[in-house]
Amino acid sequence: MSRIRTTASAATVAAVLAACLGCGGGSPGGGAGTSADADGATPMEMWIFGELHGVLYEQMADRWNELHPDRAIDLRLTVYPYQDMHNKLQLAANSGAGMPDLADIEVTKFANFVRGDDPPLMDLSAAAEPYREDVVEARLDLYSRGDAVYGYPTHVGAFVTFYNTELLEEAGIDYSTIVTWDDFAAAGAEYHAATGRAFGTANTDVFFVEPLVIAQHGGELFAEDGTVQVDSPEVVRSFEMMQDMVETGAIAPIPGSSPDDEEAYGSIARGDFAAIVYPAWYTSRFVDYMPDLAGKVAIAPAPVVAGSDTLTIGGGGTGTAVAAGSPVRDLAAEWLAFAKLSPEANVAVWEVLGFDPVNMAVWEDEEVTRDPDNQFNQYFTTNLFDVLNQVKDGIEHFESFGSPDLPAVNSRFGTVTLTEIYESGVPAREALEQAQRELKNELRQG
Amino acid sequence: MPALARRLLYSQKLAPYLFVLPFVATLALFWIIPVARSIVMSTQEVMYGQTTSVGMDNYARLWNDGVFWTAMSNSARYMVLSLLLLIPIPMLLAAVVNSRIGSPRVKAFFKASMFVPALTSVVVAGLVFRLMFSESESAVMNQVVQVFGIGPVRWLREDLTGLAALLALAVWRWTGVNTMYFIAGMQSIPGEYYEAASLDGANRRQQFLRITVPNLRPTIVYVTTISVYGGLAMFLESFMLYGGNASPNNQGLTVVGYLYRKGVEQNDLGFASAVGIVLLVAVTAINLTQLTLAGTFRKENVR
Amino acid sequence: MTANALRTRPPARRREPRATRALSVLQSTALVVIALVALVPLVAIFVATFQTGADIMRGGITLAVDPATLGLDNWTMLFTDSGPYFRWFANSLVVTVLQVVGTLLVSSFVAYGFAMYDFRGRTPLFIAVLAIMAVPFEMVMLPLYVQVNEMGLADTYAVIVIPFLAAAVTIFFFRQYFLGVPKEILEAGRVDGVTEFGIFFRLVLPIARPAIAAMAILNGMMCWNNLLWPLLVLRSSEKFTLPIGLNTLITPYANNYGLLIVGSFFSLIPILVLFLAFQRFFVEGMTAGAVKG
Repeated sequence: MSRIRTTASAATVAAVLAACLGCGGGSPGGGAGTSADADGATPMEMWIFGELHGVLYEQMADRWNELHPDRAIDLRLTVYPYQDMHNKLQLAANSGAGMPDLADIEVTKFANFVRGDDPPLMDLSAAAEPYREDVVEARLDLYSRGDAVYGYPTHVGAFVTFYNTELLEEAGIDYSTIVTWDDFAAAGAEYHAATGRAFGTANTDVFFVEPLVIAQHGGELFAEDGTVQVDSPEVVRSFEMMQDMVETGAIAPIPGSSPDDEEAYGSIARGDFAAIVYPAWYTSRFVDYMPDLAGKVAIAPAPVVAGSDTLTIGGGGTGTAVAAGSPVRDLAAEWLAFAKLSPEANVAVWEVLGFDPVNMAVWEDEEVTRDPDNQFNQYFTTNLFDVLNQVKDGIEHFESFGSPDLPAVNSRFGTVTLTEIYESGVPAREALEQAQRELKNELRQG
Repeated sequence: MPALARRLLYSQKLAPYLFVLPFVATLALFWIIPVARSIVMSTQEVMYGQTTSVGMDNYARLWNDGVFWTAMSNSARYMVLSLLLLIPIPMLLAAVVNSRIGSPRVKAFFKASMFVPALTSVVVAGLVFRLMFSESESAVMNQVVQVFGIGPVRWLREDLTGLAALLALAVWRWTGVNTMYFIAGMQSIPGEYYEAASLDGANRRQQFLRITVPNLRPTIVYVTTISVYGGLAMFLESFMLYGGNASPNNQGLTVVGYLYRKGVEQNDLGFASAVGIVLLVAVTAINLTQLTLAGTFRKENVR
Repeated sequence: MTANALRTRPPARRREPRATRALSVLQSTALVVIALVALVPLVAIFVATFQTGADIMRGGITLAVDPATLGLDNWTMLFTDSGPYFRWFANSLVVTVLQVVGTLLVSSFVAYGFAMYDFRGRTPLFIAVLAIMAVPFEMVMLPLYVQVNEMGLADTYAVIVIPFLAAAVTIFFFRQYFLGVPKEILEAGRVDGVTEFGIFFRLVLPIARPAIAAMAILNGMMCWNNLLWPLLVLRSSEKFTLPIGLNTLITPYANNYGLLIVGSFFSLIPILVLFLAFQRFFVEGMTAGAVKG
């Protein structure tokens, strides 16, 4: 009797342990494997961090399967939060196991995946060939190292300004006269004096707008030899310009620390800010999260530094990549080129996501750009493509975005430097020199 | 039953080793090996599974890294302040609950309500506090301070108010648990001690200071040990409160947060391992000092 | 005043009834006020479940709730259109049950060895238990992750559960408890021909019920709320536990805040039920296992 009870207890322990081992059960292997589905479609695992992107990919997978029934794919999407997805992908890349077949990688994280001679991503240049001449070259450069293209862009992310026309009219400001940053600063100071509210935003956790200004000043974040150089005269001048605007009240820190945050949507919708300089993809945030402002927002080109040829650069972005170790890499690359670079895909990028598509053939297709039923065309008082076509020849590639050390610089600015300059009142030069010292040490360039 | 198995099951000599075997295995597999690996990794640069030895370079970078020292001082001040809050307050509450007067029903309600916050996950607790300490003027904490004519305060954008929010979260979650430890400790103090003291004419305050506190020493040592650990290793509270691992001027960055940022977010496993080793040394040093001062290692206490 | 309170009234009390009663009222009032303050955040999030998620994220939780903005939308969504929420919920239940049952069995097993036997190496091993209690797990987290990945065990529940089966705190606690168990029970068992393990499982474990209750609550609470390690090792979304799942809802890329708020509140329920069910034994168990001088 006693032995039976003891055995039973021991069996319970064993069963619990077995259950623990069993219930995991997943295979840690890379991607979804090669075994085709019952209907012959090739399964592909894809990680993304924006739910809406998934809608687009699913649409493009269905379309691909219609066009190529013999090479059908079965796309298996997993949506993670932004930071988690990149963390998991990095850990997988670094440990050599567990990469999905395809993944969306945000531009400031991209450098983490293309270090060294043997990066974990596949060279996608061959599959891009059929579409290459229509695609904004600066955006492919962003995800290229040498001749190899490691990711396909999602949008141009050209900087534009979103003006709240109602607020500007009340204050007697005509946004169409704002061309340079000096105009912007003057209008902002005037608006602030008249209303007591802020005109534009000073963003403390997203380093987007300042690279635009630095590029317009002809500067970079890294020296010729690739070492970090965030205290160069151009960078200092750019930040001094921004800091001056904080002092005159032309721009002010925004709740949520950047326009792309729930608290910020609330504050913009309430009318606390009248002019948002941000990449073109911000259209979707207005439509999705600030429906109250429909019919009141105009899109205009971003301000420029007087005399600069650089009208805009691409801001933000997502490069979609194929894992070098994926067993289905060739098919994945071919589908991805179709899903991201083809005219068809780019029409969907505009219609589903409201982003400025990288295939410029779409920009001239008036049936698409002037579509009166389009929700973005209905929301804004001006047409995004008019603005894009206006700056088309001035879209430059900001070299620094391709640096392997961009993540470190981005992290430093997004936590400390921007806050110091915009909120703590540390003189721009001092904050930048401090950042330079810290980054040198961090990047082993001291 | 085979003789061998019988000997095994009945042997009083072997039994203890079998009993502690799971712990020995855990110790080796999940502590000693990883710590050893961590020490090795802290002298390497790791990239896509390939390692290069860099000697003490990671430690040198660490030493010169302003952000690391920010994280260290954030963790240290959080630990010290949370010790100052989470030992005296729960002890006092426990003494009140443990006193002979008062309604048992009220006390039961009190104990249950105080413990409930500890049951709340850090995800939920962090979210709720983030929303209570939101900078909007209609958020709870701003409504409270506005009663006193202050604000609205941008709680999580300023260093000290952000720290206050973190401490509020800690006090909210852990007061109940620590109170419970102290109640348990107080209930194991023999009642005769108090009777003797009250015959000697000691009042309640004197009894608390002369009998309760000294006899609670083991509990105090235990709570201090886990609080030193908890304070220095705090990460998720800040992570949830600030909605991520980035905070203005790194005011919410802790040592573990920095380890996470370096190792997981920026994938510098070598550097992150060095951060981990420094943390290990710090926690061990503080706790060893503390335990030695409290006499925990005296022979009779480990038996 | 209840009969019970009358019975336990100490003799000293009769001498100064009025002062004592005043003090007692004061004490009760203070305790109730503190308890209510402690419940404010939970009440606040409960009220927030009836508001629009995006508004909450924008303006924070507020005391001045406009009744007109309240609605049952979030609750309806939770039960009809919450996507993977209940899958996370079920996963968390499975992991928590496995973890709690496993940890209680394994840790009490180990603790019994430390408490009841004298053997070579006991002191250094027990010091190792104490040491682990004071070493942050976060310190070994990254090398352990690398190790687990190499062993091909990433993305399994096994790696979430197994490292914590022999849990230092739980071992420590059970050891304290077993030290108070009379040794005569062991001798009686041996005389009856019960194996050493039989004595533990059949004779000692059953009388450790209060300790088991206390540890079930503490371990259950830690496991149900465990975030960092599972977040690191779990990859497939169909394996996510509730804290990871809720964390995925905090993103500006999709407007899921309504589900986030109501799901957060709903996630409190199982652990509350566990606590209320075992609460009776809880203080008793904590006392029996308390650190003694």
